[in-house]
Amino acid sequence: MSKKEKKRPSSFSLMFRRLFGIQEKERDILKEEQMQSPFRTIVRNFVSNKVSMFGTIVFVLIFLTVFIGSAIYPLDVNFQDTTQQNVSPGFNMMSVPKELKSNAQQISVGATFGVGIDQNGKLYQWGKLSDKLKKMPDTNAKYTQVSAGFNHALALTEDGNVVTWGYDRLGLNNIPFEVKDATDVKQILAGYQMSFVVTEGGELYYWGNPNAMSITIPDEVQGNIEKVVANLSTAFALTKDGQVVMLSNSTTPFANIPEEIQGQVMDVAANDRAAAAVTADGQVHVWGTNDYNLFEVPEAVQGSVSAIAGGRFHFSVLTNEGTVYSWGNDMYNQSSAPELTGITQLDSGYFQNYAIDAGGNVTGWGLKGYLFGTDQYGRDVALRMLAGGRMTMTIGAIAVIISTIIGVIIGGISGYYGGWIDNILMRLTEIVMSIPFLPLAIVLSSIVGNKLSEVGRISMIMVILGFLSWPGLARLIRAQVLSAREQEYVTAAKAMGIREFTLIFRHILPNVITVVIVNTTLSFATCLLTESSLSFIGFGVVEPSPTWGNMLNSAQSSDVIANMWWRWVFPSIALSLAVVSINLIGDGMRDAIDPKSNER
Amino acid sequence: MAKYLLKRILYMVFVFFIVSIVMFAITKAVPGDPARNMVSEQLAATDPERYQIAYQNAREALGLDDPIPIQYVKWMGQTLTGNFGYSNQYKKPVVEVVGTPMLNTVALNLASLVLVFAIAIPLGIVSAVKQKSVFDQAVQVGSIIGYSLPTFVISLVFIFLFAIKIPIFPISGTSTPGADYTGLRAFGDYMYHMGLPLLVSTFCSIGGILRYVRAAMIDALREDYIRTARAKGLREKVVIYSHAFRNALIPIVTIVTSWFVSIFGGSVVIESIFLWNGLGNTMLTALRNLDSPLYLAMMMFYVVITLIGNLLMDIAYCIADPRVKLQ
Repeated sequence: MSKKEKKRPSSFSLMFRRLFGIQEKERDILKEEQMQSPFRTIVRNFVSNKVSMFGTIVFVLIFLTVFIGSAIYPLDVNFQDTTQQNVSPGFNMMSVPKELKSNAQQISVGATFGVGIDQNGKLYQWGKLSDKLKKMPDTNAKYTQVSAGFNHALALTEDGNVVTWGYDRLGLNNIPFEVKDATDVKQILAGYQMSFVVTEGGELYYWGNPNAMSITIPDEVQGNIEKVVANLSTAFALTKDGQVVMLSNSTTPFANIPEEIQGQVMDVAANDRAAAAVTADGQVHVWGTNDYNLFEVPEAVQGSVSAIAGGRFHFSVLTNEGTVYSWGNDMYNQSSAPELTGITQLDSGYFQNYAIDAGGNVTGWGLKGYLFGTDQYGRDVALRMLAGGRMTMTIGAIAVIISTIIGVIIGGISGYYGGWIDNILMRLTEIVMSIPFLPLAIVLSSIVGNKLSEVGRISMIMVILGFLSWPGLARLIRAQVLSAREQEYVTAAKAMGIREFTLIFRHILPNVITVVIVNTTLSFATCLLTESSLSFIGFGVVEPSPTWGNMLNSAQSSDVIANMWWRWVFPSIALSLAVVSINLIGDGMRDAIDPKSNER
Repeated sequence: MAKYLLKRILYMVFVFFIVSIVMFAITKAVPGDPARNMVSEQLAATDPERYQIAYQNAREALGLDDPIPIQYVKWMGQTLTGNFGYSNQYKKPVVEVVGTPMLNTVALNLASLVLVFAIAIPLGIVSAVKQKSVFDQAVQVGSIIGYSLPTFVISLVFIFLFAIKIPIFPISGTSTPGADYTGLRAFGDYMYHMGLPLLVSTFCSIGGILRYVRAAMIDALREDYIRTARAKGLREKVVIYSHAFRNALIPIVTIVTSWFVSIFGGSVVIESIFLWNGLGNTMLTALRNLDSPLYLAMMMFYVVITLIGNLLMDIAYCIADPRVKLQ
């Protein structure tokens, strides 16, 4: 015997083939009639229906994406970021223009955009630019310094003029006349709704929104300032004699500036959790709040740091050898600094970093953008869609399981026993049916909802959905069991003395199971819809936990519908695709099971 | 038939009372003190003593100090005699509060009902007659998509298309704010505001009805009398519209009946998105403001409507098809 003939399919593959009706070769019709089990016929019918197969594929894809995706990219539900609000989809935040890429003089990082000047003093900007930011100042002028802020930017021209563009409210365009007159501007800094200017004479000027941060400059410091850095809440000044001074009177951890470094500070940086200073011996000292391991300065750089820059939750340093290091929050890879050499300049801000070498070549790392944009709290829509999809599907699935179990039990008992049991159970069904669903769910969720934790509230929604949606199935099962009870095979089984339990579950139930499966599939779609509607009007799963329904809750205003399409289009598509594909599957299954449909 | 109806109505009364007990118990469990809402807040600050007295009086008037079963009996007695209580939020009797919203809801749903059936019935017949044709398949898939898409998604898309991109319709409301139209002008303005919600509610319900009509028609076309009619040599038109459609009407009539009842119940989602001052929206605001007399009365109204709807459906079935015997 040859080897080929001996080879037999494994039992697993045999099972698989039989289950899905994959035949090795064509049989003639008579044989096939005999060979095919009813279940296989159903599968065959289903597989041959292109529309329902399409639905199955789409649903499986959505299901896998949502469950695997949310496992790979977990969502921190409480994360919010005011600097990343309503960012449109796309990955162009770090796409530095080609002309700038190899001859950059300076680059500055804004919240969602970047600004830079090349070695000829030409101004460039890229990333997510608001309409106001797009109105760049005179591009023919020569610039020597740029700074990008939250939603505005500053630039310094060759002849010492400070220009501002971008967001112009909150006093941001009211450049003080001292600054306008000054010819010795040394540093410009665009912060969060604030602009700062330091002159050669050590004077600091600032303008912008006084509610964003309150700045007080001590008298002994004014006139002696070397550099200023700012985060979202406060600012620090580095004096000419190496002191670090906090420029607002507050008792936040930012005020705990280490005493031992005063007088020998070379450079200072601040992010929104901590501030850091580099002393003359190249050591980095960090103070503030130790979130994201910000206090753990990499050992490799201690002693050789020459410059430091701060982002939103991370720090980046430039060493004497021209290499760069980053540490802190690495959510967008902003702390994953590449191995570079020969770097002379480094700028960090928000979630990006740019390093420039002696030749003007730019390397950037950090946040490139968001696949589906961000919402009104600066949360990544794509991440929330993954987690929200998992939540929506889990709630729907558990609700359907609850309602199916109740429906099968009540319908089965009612149909099999009949008489007064049937009467009572059918009245019960009628009662549940006549309770208006949405109002009751709303009332229930407003009663118990506020007392429960988030998980409790979500489970409550599952239970409400499950306990109110079984009557339809119960009636269907009752009708099926009623007709099955009169069939000969039941009479035969009874005559053989088979126990009632076995009779119901081994003989009758398999004959009605197809109806149950179809109904479960279709009511899964209904449950998804109901949960989403409930969450949409604000009575289901509430913020910050996402579901596809409540992500659309904030999209009801015409401003969002018109201008921030990404906030409602993507969740809508996901939800619609899921429901349509489930309905297609259910429909296909019903057609496959119904023998009449084969004749149609 | 009469005996059956009597039995049905008895069951209905029984179900009504059970549901009313459940609803009442749930309402009582909602946090919040309706008596506090009745007394003016200002009084508490200016004259705490008089506020206490007014509050106690309000509690007494509402009977909040009675045991729950007694409160239920009192409430039920009042409800049955036509006194539906007093809305805390509007400081008006419930009957007065729901008057205008009910008119708005009925107007919207009635228009939608007419549109849905005017479109679904011809489309359903054609797709049943041309079964398995490309047209039929397209209608099938389209109707699945139509009834699968969530109402609020369709609303958002329609607002985007027909109120923002191509501003044909106003985004929300029932009349132009500030405009003081009268007569025909006011009616025109009203219809203009109804356009978008009407479009959405028609779009959302057409799929389900269409499939129903198609299925009924297919079943009718498979009957023996159709074969007989064709064998007689009748024209296809006569066969379809005179023989098949009349019989397909039986299930359609029943579904129209149940729909007819549901026009009194507003869609919470559509009305809240389009700020259509209908029953659904009133219900939602009542729930948000914990206005328990108002939403309790409205929920009981919904229950009665559902029960009557079921009964009417059975009767309609019986009348439309003499073969059906109710027992």
